[in-house]
Amino acid sequence: MTFLKKLLEFSGLHPERVRTRWVSSAEAVEFVHEISGFVEEIKKLGPNPLRAKAKEAA
Amino acid sequence: MSAKIKEAVRALLAGGKIKGFLGLREENGNVMPHLFCDPKELEALSLGDWKKAGDTRYPLNQLMIRLTLQYPEETFAVLIRGCDERGLKELFKWKQLAEDKVVLIGIGCPDELAKACECEKPFPDSVIDGPQGAKADSEKVARIEAMALDARLQYWKAEFDRCVKCFGCRNICPMCFCNECSLEENQLVGTGEVPPANPTFHLARAIHMVGRCIDCGLCEEACPADIPLRTLYKKVTEIINKEFGYKTGFSVDEKSPFNIIEVK
Repeated sequence: MTFLKKLLEFSGLHPERVRTRWVSSAEAVEFVHEISGFVEEIKKLGPNPLRAKAKEAA
Repeated sequence: MSAKIKEAVRALLAGGKIKGFLGLREENGNVMPHLFCDPKELEALSLGDWKKAGDTRYPLNQLMIRLTLQYPEETFAVLIRGCDERGLKELFKWKQLAEDKVVLIGIGCPDELAKACECEKPFPDSVIDGPQGAKADSEKVARIEAMALDARLQYWKAEFDRCVKCFGCRNICPMCFCNECSLEENQLVGTGEVPPANPTFHLARAIHMVGRCIDCGLCEEACPADIPLRTLYKKVTEIINKEFGYKTGFSVDEKSPFNIIEVK
């Protein structure tokens, strides 16, 4: 993950667009917390610039 | 410059230590790889573009793998630079070549070439002739890092857009020894489409260069579209070094951090 984030950053994508967490299936609260947090973060970052360009082209 | 090399190879051949020496030969102005088995042939020995960055270079290590597959019992010598030696160290580690069957004939690169390559170590440990120049820092990587995030994406998108998917970068790569390549898996990479998925095609190859790329730059020389692949893979090698403390091709014993399974 450390590597992937650095590589994405070098290629011009925000490293926070990828995330890995280990959450046990017994930890529902933890799971919701992680996902909601990630969704919030992604919304702040806005749409994926790669996707945006593909739409423009289409 | 090549006198010392010739002398060393002649002694090895005469002593029966090696079956042949894999180097470069010049004929009618063309430089090509050649397996020297007779000391008489050594007159035609060439060092290719030894002084400057040129394109008369060949993946001799790749030819070594093919050669030893055909003659597994024989020992061969090979002409190497700093980058080739790093490659051999990784190939020994990955069991693609047997260390005791390869004799290294090392040459150091002049400063001009080391600078053009931005080489980490422009001479092999087993240097027989040539300078032992200093490490050159990478300005090319720094130039991209100076850009803002979206400018970087624009830059790489434009570069990768020229890709004609010729697989030249992979085919010439002395470290690409896999029998099956994920870049040819239809499930992962769609066919009949040029340029290939941008930027995933090239980023996938970049990830596969982890712990393998020894920065020889053959990929960039081979690329018909002049995509700055070397800069991309330089960054890969830099991340592995900075984040995981692993220097690709500097030791035969130390494993890449991506290949260690720790059982506690």
